[in-house]
Amino acid sequence: MTDAKPAKRAPVRRRRPRSYWALRIGIGLLVFYVAVALLSFVWTPYDALTPGVGDGYDAPSWAFPLGTDRLGADMLSRLMVGARYDLGIAFTAVAIALTIGTIIGVLAGYHGGALDTAVMRGVEIFQAFPGLLFAMLVVQAVGAGIVNVILVLSFVGIPDYLRLARAEIRAKKDWQYAEAARLTGNLPWRVAFRHLLPNSVGPLLAFTSINAAFAALVTASLGFLGLGLGPNVPEWGNMIARGQDGVMTGEWWVSFFPGLAILGLTGGLYLMGDALADLTDPRRRR
Amino acid sequence: MSDALLEIEDYSGAFVGETGELTPVLHGVSYRLKTGMMTAVVGESGSGKSLVALSILGIQPPAFERSSGRMLFRGSDLLELDERAMQGIRGAEISMVFQDARAALNPVFTVGRQLADVWQLQHGGSRRAAMTQAIEALRRVSIPEPERRALQYPHQFSGGMAQRAMIAMASLICEPSLLILDEPTTGLDVTIQSDIMELIVELSRTRGLTTCLITHDLGVVAETCQEVVVMNAGRVVETGSAEAIFTRPSDGYTQRLLSASQLVEAA
Repeated sequence: MTDAKPAKRAPVRRRRPRSYWALRIGIGLLVFYVAVALLSFVWTPYDALTPGVGDGYDAPSWAFPLGTDRLGADMLSRLMVGARYDLGIAFTAVAIALTIGTIIGVLAGYHGGALDTAVMRGVEIFQAFPGLLFAMLVVQAVGAGIVNVILVLSFVGIPDYLRLARAEIRAKKDWQYAEAARLTGNLPWRVAFRHLLPNSVGPLLAFTSINAAFAALVTASLGFLGLGLGPNVPEWGNMIARGQDGVMTGEWWVSFFPGLAILGLTGGLYLMGDALADLTDPRRRR
Repeated sequence: MSDALLEIEDYSGAFVGETGELTPVLHGVSYRLKTGMMTAVVGESGSGKSLVALSILGIQPPAFERSSGRMLFRGSDLLELDERAMQGIRGAEISMVFQDARAALNPVFTVGRQLADVWQLQHGGSRRAAMTQAIEALRRVSIPEPERRALQYPHQFSGGMAQRAMIAMASLICEPSLLILDEPTTGLDVTIQSDIMELIVELSRTRGLTTCLITHDLGVVAETCQEVVVMNAGRVVETGSAEAIFTRPSDGYTQRLLSASQLVEAA
């Protein structure tokens, strides 16, 4: 941090090469998935919902790169359309959970006192149930449908964001720059949301990325268990479930490729979340 | 009405322990900050000088409990104001510079943006105009290349530069009538200390600011302040003009403080 200007700029050294690589791979995977999902709106090799474009259980070939399922529908087309469902459900749910959880968490953390106690006890009771179990029960109770699945998933996610935002704000609200912000005439909500929350964007983003992986897994799990979406919806979890029989008789591709798709998506999100945790802090940025 | 901008009368209080026991720390503190003057509050660590200053802005630690006293600012008692009214006083009427300027700046925003934010908050106006004011303020406190510096983050500032930026924020951007400086030069290099003090004196003179300088550095006080309040162990032991305090200290503690600082011959 000297003001002396070296005659030549020193070569840029990456202090955290692993983070950068993880971030690149994570973002690369994510962009690929989003691209596939978008592409599926305009083009798929075959119609994803039409059975019988090939024979049942065609092995991967030039005509059907990922094979066909039991009814002869093209696996590649179904996987591409499935990306819409899995990404759409997971990301929408995460966005809702992030927004609501952060707002309540910041308020509870900054305000403290009775509000904080009430909110946190509620969260603890809620979190006593495992997330997937809770999601299953609620989907069973309120009925299937994409909107219900999204709402249930976001509801399951809220407590995590709430806790994280609350902890972040609580740790920072007595720091001197918060004091300084109050001293220059900022109202409390402005100090909390405009001054303190941006300091927590790094941890929140990192967690969001990892949580999105969890949400994608739960989406697939619900599909696998036959909850949430109709049986013919080409959702990946759904597809794995439908391909189970084939695994026994050697038609591995029907379950394998949807599984691989889920692995790639969750893996990419995890990598990205990990790297984001390192890189979003401006003090660590180059 | 007198010529005092702020009058602290008989301010007493104690820290409340976890079990409810009281540890008295302030005993009937009374002093006045005269309008347009620079008043020093001196005393060793733990004498309560910072605690009183924080109380002026209503940001004393929560464990502190007041038992008596008034703080008259322009005739109204700051201690009786509700949170909303205090909000209007903070920044606009009274602002403060902390010891550690880099901790007082938000690490995730550029320095220019933080100054501009405060300008907009206090004076309204467009974002662009606020940024112009921020850069002007940085220039005014002798930060070189203010246009470039405004786009930097606090961790890219040295301690002295950050303190200049804080002073710019507290005095030029907020435009208060009372500026409280809590040990503004502690922890800085000696040469930078005198630069910063020069800047403070120059700003308060040209802007007609009433300034309250909290410090334990008597050398700084002798050069800059007109009035001195000496505090020891939660009491005000002596008040008077800087000249009187430095040449004819009446209290024993003040005499010891002076001889320890080796500013004057023990006469």
